[in-house]
Amino acid sequence: MLTSLVQTLLILALSPLFTGLIRKLKAYFQGRQGASVLQPYWDLAKLFHKDSVVSQDASWIMTATPYVCMTAVIAASFMVPFITTSSLGFVGDLIVVVYLFGMMRFFMALAGLDAGSSFGGMGSSREMTVSAIVEPTILLSVFTMALISGTTDLSGMSQSLATTGFDLVRPALFLALAAFFISTLAENARVPVDNPSTHLELTMIHEAMVLEHSGKHLALMEWSSMTKLLLYLVIMANIFLPWGIDTDLTVLGLATGTVAIILKLLVFSLAIALVESSMAKMRLFRLPNLLTVSFSLSLLAVISYYIL
Amino acid sequence: MVSTLSLDAINTLAAMILLADFMLVASSRMRSLTRIFALQSLAMGGLAAVVAFETGAEHIYVIAVLSVALKAVVIPRFIDYITEKIQVNREVEPLIKIPGSLLICAAITILAYFVTEPIMELGTAITSNCLAISFATVLIGMFLMVSRKKAITQVIGLLVVENGVFLAAISTTYSMPMVVELGVFFDIFVGVVIMGIFAFRINRTFETVDSTVLRRLKD
Repeated sequence: MLTSLVQTLLILALSPLFTGLIRKLKAYFQGRQGASVLQPYWDLAKLFHKDSVVSQDASWIMTATPYVCMTAVIAASFMVPFITTSSLGFVGDLIVVVYLFGMMRFFMALAGLDAGSSFGGMGSSREMTVSAIVEPTILLSVFTMALISGTTDLSGMSQSLATTGFDLVRPALFLALAAFFISTLAENARVPVDNPSTHLELTMIHEAMVLEHSGKHLALMEWSSMTKLLLYLVIMANIFLPWGIDTDLTVLGLATGTVAIILKLLVFSLAIALVESSMAKMRLFRLPNLLTVSFSLSLLAVISYYIL
Repeated sequence: MVSTLSLDAINTLAAMILLADFMLVASSRMRSLTRIFALQSLAMGGLAAVVAFETGAEHIYVIAVLSVALKAVVIPRFIDYITEKIQVNREVEPLIKIPGSLLICAAITILAYFVTEPIMELGTAITSNCLAISFATVLIGMFLMVSRKKAITQVIGLLVVENGVFLAAISTTYSMPMVVELGVFFDIFVGVVIMGIFAFRINRTFETVDSTVLRRLKD
């Protein structure tokens, strides 16, 4: 119980750092100096000191959404193993985690429509189009890992893979990992799908939905998105490649677990920064191609688990 | 006794072959088509080599080497040469859009699994679980042939079908006799050359390799 509380606080505290890190790496690849890695913290602090302005036509959804989003990510981070796998998973398994993110997305889309601005509605409709393919992809790819490890509990999956060594490694694992990586990019509004740093109306998906939020509400929305990104990276690191994670709560185990997760997260941040610097954002109408590729990858992962 | 390393190698290569099928369906450029086909043939040759190593049948080594040389090097190069020569544009032009094609191919794979499952249970060969993948490869090759417009993409579809048949032969009976395999290789090679020349001639006569246009009679 205590460990999961500590892990949740760690995830919440570290999430702006990794967002800042990805931005810094991107700046480096583009030959710019870039803002400090700590810049997202300053942004959040600034936003938390400001008042929120809510449109007078907006209903309660507009004010509730930031809190719903934040609650959803906090609840999800209770179920995701971060440094250690032990004494976790006391409330829910992977399906709960996926649908907590689903609830977050649902409320964000509603809030986008609620304010009545045309951009918000556009963003909501695009987000829903994307998520219609991404959600089954994520479920299927995590289900592959559940099949391999024989449990749907996230920390249990991580534990069984980490303790049995490389015997459980199958081709399905890598197919599922590839599918999950593409879905991570799509779900967190990263480059081939959406551009996180643009406010150009025609290209944005995520930014369009949070356009009407301001001040403290915007800070909560931003923070929950950053935490969501970190959670996806942690799931990728600890469910698909869990080697090195602590399983027994000893000092040595916790130390290696901390080093391992930091290394893995650095590698994934680097991968995201590389993808974002080397690829152009896709046209919206070409997105289904990429997303169905990732969907069929995850489907292939499940099929190849049964065939091979 | 079969070592787990070889089994892992076979499984990984088989998964690569299946992945290559889907990549072929997903790719929209002619160039990447030939490259992925070469990759698939390479995986096929590797799988044959592992089978040869496990069973000790030397003629499979020969077949593996021939398969790699012919299908991973010579034929892709020849197809690239033809595409360059007839100055065809580099888009694939599918009749069914790519997302739809991918979903159909996923359905095909599941179908192949259910059709071959009773046979796979009877199999004793170390590669018997590749049968579903070979079946899926044959069917996806056929799907490529019917759903892509250009004559050259249809040639690639046919080659994928051949890869599937090759994999089926290996996975059920540790490949066909040497003579038969050699005959098949020769057949494929000559077939591709003839089809290449055909595509060339078609292009000269009709000024397109789009096979939907060939339905119209011309005087």
